[in-house]
Amino acid sequence: MTDSAPANYEAAVERLEEIIDRLDSGQAGLRETLDLCREGKELVDYCAGELDAVGEGLKELNLDDLAAKLDSSASPGS
Amino acid sequence: MANPQISLGVSATPGPDLPGPFAVGRYAKKLKGWMRERPRVLLIGEVTGVGRSKVQAYFELRDGEGAVPCAIWLRDLERAGLPDGALRDGAEVVIAGGLDYYEGGGTASPNFCFRATHVRLAGEGDLLARLEALRTQLRAEGLTTLQKQLTRSALPKTIGVVTAEGGAARRDLLAGLERRGWGGTVVWAFAPVQDRHAAPAIARALQDLAARPEIEAIVVTRGGGSLADLWAFCDETLCRTVAMLRVPVVSAVGHERDTTLIDDVAAVACSTPTHAAEAAVPLDCRGARRELGRQALFLRRGADGAIGARARHLGSLARGPARALQRQRTILNQKTREIRAASERGIAERGAFQRRIATIVLERTRRRALDRAERAGEKRRRHGAALDSAAERAVAQRREALRQAAVALRAHDPERTLERGYALAETPDGEPLTSAAAVAAAGRFSLRFSDGRVDARTAADPGPGAGGDQGDR
Repeated sequence: MTDSAPANYEAAVERLEEIIDRLDSGQAGLRETLDLCREGKELVDYCAGELDAVGEGLKELNLDDLAAKLDSSASPGS
Repeated sequence: MANPQISLGVSATPGPDLPGPFAVGRYAKKLKGWMRERPRVLLIGEVTGVGRSKVQAYFELRDGEGAVPCAIWLRDLERAGLPDGALRDGAEVVIAGGLDYYEGGGTASPNFCFRATHVRLAGEGDLLARLEALRTQLRAEGLTTLQKQLTRSALPKTIGVVTAEGGAARRDLLAGLERRGWGGTVVWAFAPVQDRHAAPAIARALQDLAARPEIEAIVVTRGGGSLADLWAFCDETLCRTVAMLRVPVVSAVGHERDTTLIDDVAAVACSTPTHAAEAAVPLDCRGARRELGRQALFLRRGADGAIGARARHLGSLARGPARALQRQRTILNQKTREIRAASERGIAERGAFQRRIATIVLERTRRRALDRAERAGEKRRRHGAALDSAAERAVAQRREALRQAAVALRAHDPERTLERGYALAETPDGEPLTSAAAVAAAGRFSLRFSDGRVDARTAADPGPGAGGDQGDR
């Protein structure tokens, strides 16, 4: 099991597939199986969170508006 | 440009050790002549700042590296036969001509220009030749590989897009993103995509987007057009800017057959905005959600299954002895049934066998008995006949013997003796007195004749008075 959160979605998916391959092989003992399942569930939660972050509908911003907002927030009188 | 050596025959007095001073008007005339003697060449570039006077048209011809002021007499322009308005700002043209210089006058200003005598719109061949030269140069500098070495996120949350605000490419890109089920943030940086202002504006937009840390990929896109229309995306400065960005750039300029220089330096070159959407968001979010659900289910079942399977295995092991006993019991019962069946079968077979044997024995016995009986019968019949014969013979013999005995007996019968006149002395009780002594001893006796008895007494007998009776004598 990894000690830290995955670096990104791709790394999480890659590790998840490794885990599933290992479980699929049927060679993991009970303790290892339980550890892998726990780690896999954490990775699934992470991936689900990443997918949720891009799952609430497409948002459109304009770079000029962002720049203007940035300028106004940086201005002391704003 | 080397300083023209124009000798006016006057030696310079003050200042450095240079020829002159020369009269400027004469110098200008000499300069004009020298310039006109320069070789005529062809130039290619974008027309900007077009203007006209009564006799000539003037404009600047420029590209990313510099510009030259140009002029063409109107009569030469008309002879070129360009379509109306073809000589306009943004047009890519090829001009033929050479250096020219107007020396001015007492009040007129001097003017330098490239005097064009021929002009035509730049063709694909002209642009492709320039494009190829630039491509070779950028490749040689290693600028075409830098973007391709960047790591692209499979699931960016925010992407930047540089395109024309009202272009179809914008709509197609959005449709492509939604088709992948991606609902992240798009930061639009609108810029002109076709004229001499396009390349600098696009480069500026790219830099501004790349400066925002949340942006993980940038798409540069526009619809199709001629190579001249897409020429902004072959701009050297723009391409160098793209190559040096820290954010991966996805280019989708023109159609499939169009290849601009930005495609060479970008991280990914796509043929359409739709493909650019797939390259900017490599992960198909809808498919990924389905796959993630499947994996989550697998893991849940994996954990439960691992425990359950082992529990079942343990349970199975625990039930092993009882199952083994049961199995043995079943085997035993089966054997017992088999033995019983075999036994019953054996008994029945033996019974049948014995019955068969008994039947055979009985039959044989019966036959033997019958044979014996028949033989006995035959024997009896034979013996019977013999017996009958023997009996008859015996009877006959016995009859003969009897007859002979009767004859003999008759011959010895006292009665026959009596009949011949003899008498038999007997005691009164009828016992024969066979001797004289017996008669003398008896005293009294009877004499039996064949025709009756006569009592008698011996002379020694005293009679009745002497105690004997003589009357019966």
